[in-house]
Amino acid sequence: MKLLSVRYERFRNLGALTLTPSAKTTIAVGPNGQGKTNLLEGLYFLSTLKPLRASRLAELIQFGQADAVVQGRFLLQGAERDIAVRVEGKTRTALVDGKAASSLSSYFGGVSVVAFTPDDLAVVKGGPDGRRAFLDRAVFNRFPGYLTESRDYARALKGRNRLLKDGASAAQVGAWDEALARFGAKLFVRRRALLDEVAPKAQAAFERITRLQAPARFGYGASGLSGLDFQGADEAALAQALHDALVARTPKDRERGFTSVGPHTDDLELFLGDAAARAYASQGQARALVLAWKVAEIENLAQANGFLPLLLLDDVSSELDPERNAFLMQYLVDLGAQALLSTTDAALVQRAAGPDTVWWQVEAGQVRASDGA
Amino acid sequence: MTPDAINRLVAQLAKLPGIGEKTAQRLAFHVLRSSPEYARSLAAALVDVVDKVRLCSRCFSLHDGAAEALCGFCTDPRRDERLVCVVEGIADELAVERTREFRGRYHVLHGVLSPLEGIGPEQLRIKELLQRLGDGVVTEVVVATNPDVEGEATALYLTRLLKPLGVKVSRLAQGLPMGGDLEFADQATLARAFATRRDL
Repeated sequence: MKLLSVRYERFRNLGALTLTPSAKTTIAVGPNGQGKTNLLEGLYFLSTLKPLRASRLAELIQFGQADAVVQGRFLLQGAERDIAVRVEGKTRTALVDGKAASSLSSYFGGVSVVAFTPDDLAVVKGGPDGRRAFLDRAVFNRFPGYLTESRDYARALKGRNRLLKDGASAAQVGAWDEALARFGAKLFVRRRALLDEVAPKAQAAFERITRLQAPARFGYGASGLSGLDFQGADEAALAQALHDALVARTPKDRERGFTSVGPHTDDLELFLGDAAARAYASQGQARALVLAWKVAEIENLAQANGFLPLLLLDDVSSELDPERNAFLMQYLVDLGAQALLSTTDAALVQRAAGPDTVWWQVEAGQVRASDGA
Repeated sequence: MTPDAINRLVAQLAKLPGIGEKTAQRLAFHVLRSSPEYARSLAAALVDVVDKVRLCSRCFSLHDGAAEALCGFCTDPRRDERLVCVVEGIADELAVERTREFRGRYHVLHGVLSPLEGIGPEQLRIKELLQRLGDGVVTEVVVATNPDVEGEATALYLTRLLKPLGVKVSRLAQGLPMGGDLEFADQATLARAFATRRDL
């Protein structure tokens, strides 16, 4: 997979831009607030149909405009494909070669991306919702079918919460318990599958990054499922366990008006040796954990898809200490993937640059090719 | 100035689903240009729909017989009265009927449970279904609600109510469409078909 060119129209502060990235590393340089992140945001949105940092779709549209478009020309399995996404109000339309994509699988066939932002570096010390979103991003990238499954689950969850708030009959809540358990079990299975693939790779990567330290461990924290071998259970057993937990908690859930158990309350658990990283990891170790996870995600996608994903690194170097940054830069050079890096300080990413690196100077939403720092 | 009669017709047509102001206008002018007989028979057909078509008092399908009478599905003696297929709406009933495979009777819920839209069991024809099963004639209920979140939850809800009555409750299988190409199947369907694959 290669991105040959990308076009932005009315996307955040980017007016109308057509850019040709390098087949290897492209580095966008410029002061803060000029539009570097928007270049990455656009590519991430194009590749996943989900915004990277914006919380609402409407934020992707330039202020005062009605719609925004990001269009990419990709080389996918030997064929050039035109993939575009248009956002207007609250809706997004995906287009493949100018035609509305009939299904998400036809849209996602072959495009794969891994993003790495300063927000990611905060997940170890942050709340469980941040880690869930972090984990889910990886699951979406690996299994596009997860998009519909998690939507179904969210809808079933909203339905159950509404019934709890409205004080609905036991029979109705019971039916929703069962439905929610079935849809939830699918999410368990996907998240577990992703962790089975990524966790060993991330643990190995952590060793490469930190060398002499305690080993890292990445696990899934399924809350409230008692007496279950989470790792060994099949989908039906997971659904049963979740169902039992929902039934057991129904009185309490009714009081509180929301559902207190299920994939939406679970956590991605990170350990250093036997200690929970959330409480005990140093700032440097926390960042190394995230870096290791990202490296593992890239390797896993490469292995599963047979090609390297497009990498988007948003000013990560300034957040990493020199040693970890050196590791990351060397890793990028060795990997040889197509990557777009943004930075305020070109010196930080100089080591990732090679003869085929393309430099973009970003200023007030305009991009100009330059000869490097 | 357009005559008020035309404005009124356009306004009424534009209330129909899928019809915008422009299309409504085009339809109105088409009626105006056509022979007066066409307009009169269209008007009569519209009035007949509301005056003559009513819900069957047992299964809530549509029919145009006398009030309190039963529909063709419920009165056809060749149909198996031990078997009842529960559907969300009339369109689903027609879809099942087109297969000509199902020879039992129907029950139309007229919707599905949807807490988010405020639709509970009272808004559906669920009470009537339970009453219907009271006489013990029906031995199997096939739940043919859609395989989406609300359809699944409604099926599960019905199962909870029906199982204690001693009737067999079944659910339509999900999987690949017949005569369809594997390559055109969406991921969710294909994944489901894989998960529920069977021995040969």
